[in-house]
Amino acid sequence: MFKGVRYVVRENANNLYRIYSIAKYELLADMRDSKLGMFWNFANPAIQVITYWFVFGFVFNRSQVDGIDFLSWMLGGMVIWFFISPCITNGCNAIYQKINIITKMKFPVSILPATVVLKEAFNHLCLMIIVVVLFAVNGHFPSLHWLGLIYYFVCSILFSISLSLMTSVLNMLARDTRKLILACMRLLMYLTPILWDIKSLPHVFQVIMKLNPIYYLVCGYRDCFFYHEGILFYWKQMLVFWTWTILLFWIGSTIMYKFRTKFMDLI
Amino acid sequence: MMEDYAIEFRNVSKIYKLNGKEKKKTEHKMFYALKDVCFCIPVGEVVGILGTNGSGKSTMATILAGISEIDEGEMIVNGEQALIAINTGLNNQLTGLENIELKGALLGLKPQRVNEIIEGVADFAELGEFLYQPVKKYSSGMKSRLGFSINLCLDPDILIIDEALSVGDKGFANKCLKRMKELKKHGKTIVFVSHSLPQVREFCDTALWIEAGMLKEYGEVNAVCDHYSDYVDRLNKMSAEEKKRENEEKFQKRLVTDAKEGFWDKALTFFQKHM
Repeated sequence: MFKGVRYVVRENANNLYRIYSIAKYELLADMRDSKLGMFWNFANPAIQVITYWFVFGFVFNRSQVDGIDFLSWMLGGMVIWFFISPCITNGCNAIYQKINIITKMKFPVSILPATVVLKEAFNHLCLMIIVVVLFAVNGHFPSLHWLGLIYYFVCSILFSISLSLMTSVLNMLARDTRKLILACMRLLMYLTPILWDIKSLPHVFQVIMKLNPIYYLVCGYRDCFFYHEGILFYWKQMLVFWTWTILLFWIGSTIMYKFRTKFMDLI
Repeated sequence: MMEDYAIEFRNVSKIYKLNGKEKKKTEHKMFYALKDVCFCIPVGEVVGILGTNGSGKSTMATILAGISEIDEGEMIVNGEQALIAINTGLNNQLTGLENIELKGALLGLKPQRVNEIIEGVADFAELGEFLYQPVKKYSSGMKSRLGFSINLCLDPDILIIDEALSVGDKGFANKCLKRMKELKKHGKTIVFVSHSLPQVREFCDTALWIEAGMLKEYGEVNAVCDHYSDYVDRLNKMSAEEKKRENEEKFQKRLVTDAKEGFWDKALTFFQKHM
């Protein structure tokens, strides 16, 4: 029952250098692709943030949430979404993208989701630096509470890998998986209380929203930035989040284990 | 104790699924890519694999390399095997040097080992100053030389080469053959898949002829090559009509009659049909 889990964990642990190299050179190749390179890693999120701020903060005139200016509040949640979202969309393509490698050499397929997530993690860290500067300008200075970000960052990495394990295998079985996920991403963003305050909903819906594992990460990031309640304050959501992650990881690694030798014939 | 055989095939079969003519129909055909193949390759032997197009040579290579799994029978491999894949894993945006590092890592080399091989690879591939240029500026010959050289730096016990030497010019092909002869001296087992009869005759000790997924002959290289070239000549002389009939016959022979499917295979078939 846990054969798949053991297999995936072992394969990933034995190939850390491979994961690192693939992520590193892929990033490098991406940057070489365009003249401005790294600039686009920042420009894309920046333009999105400005758009949402214009629509929600300016047009709908939401000036403050819980005493925090709207731009900072939104950014605190948005920044983790900018990590999770490409992890989900690229993660499900992780195996398919490397099809010419796995059909031509003996390759530990289950490390591919981790390479994608690691690559995005680097982009996320770059973005974090900018966010920290922006917050400082807006009057939210780094404090000890911000160390909690490390925990939430690790959480989001594990969640992304677990989800990608599953979706990347499903995407090999039917390419429709990726199309479905791409189509649902926007929906997922608006369903996750990133741009709007969860307190504006009736209580029942609030509970349903809290079942969303991504909202736990959003909450966590915001807590570290502004609310400073501590990690254990959200223990119910924490429980839900880890249930999701472990379940996804279990399903993902089981089907990865089952199909690991069949990818060759699935092209 | 020394193992006598590098590779042993016992009644190995590989099955591919084919789509029926009409998509909605529930029946689907199963097709033997390899059928009931038995042979043993001793350690240190250089084997050429011959066969016409579609006879299962490449399938054989991927199975030997451990990339693809067999459906029936048993395969015993003593030692580590590696398939020489030339252009895989090269990234056009990266320089030659970076590609050596990347492909080295992809192949599972340790960081120190990658640093050790860089010089040797650059020399063997004759890149010169191009080592620091992005691979997209390379000529196609240069690219294959780079890919091939990195592969040679792996140190497997069993080397599988699938049509690798058909790229690159004659000089480089000779250089590769020379390098492989060195490996042969070190007691490596080499499986050489090629269309070029002269290369097979020159380089291999024995040859293995696969026709229509079945093992036709395995033995001394010149004898098998002679029989194979006779067969190809006979095929070429056939009229289109005869050829078609022969192919049809071969195809019918390769269809699977008694198919049994496990749960995961069924799930797979289901997915492919309905999505």
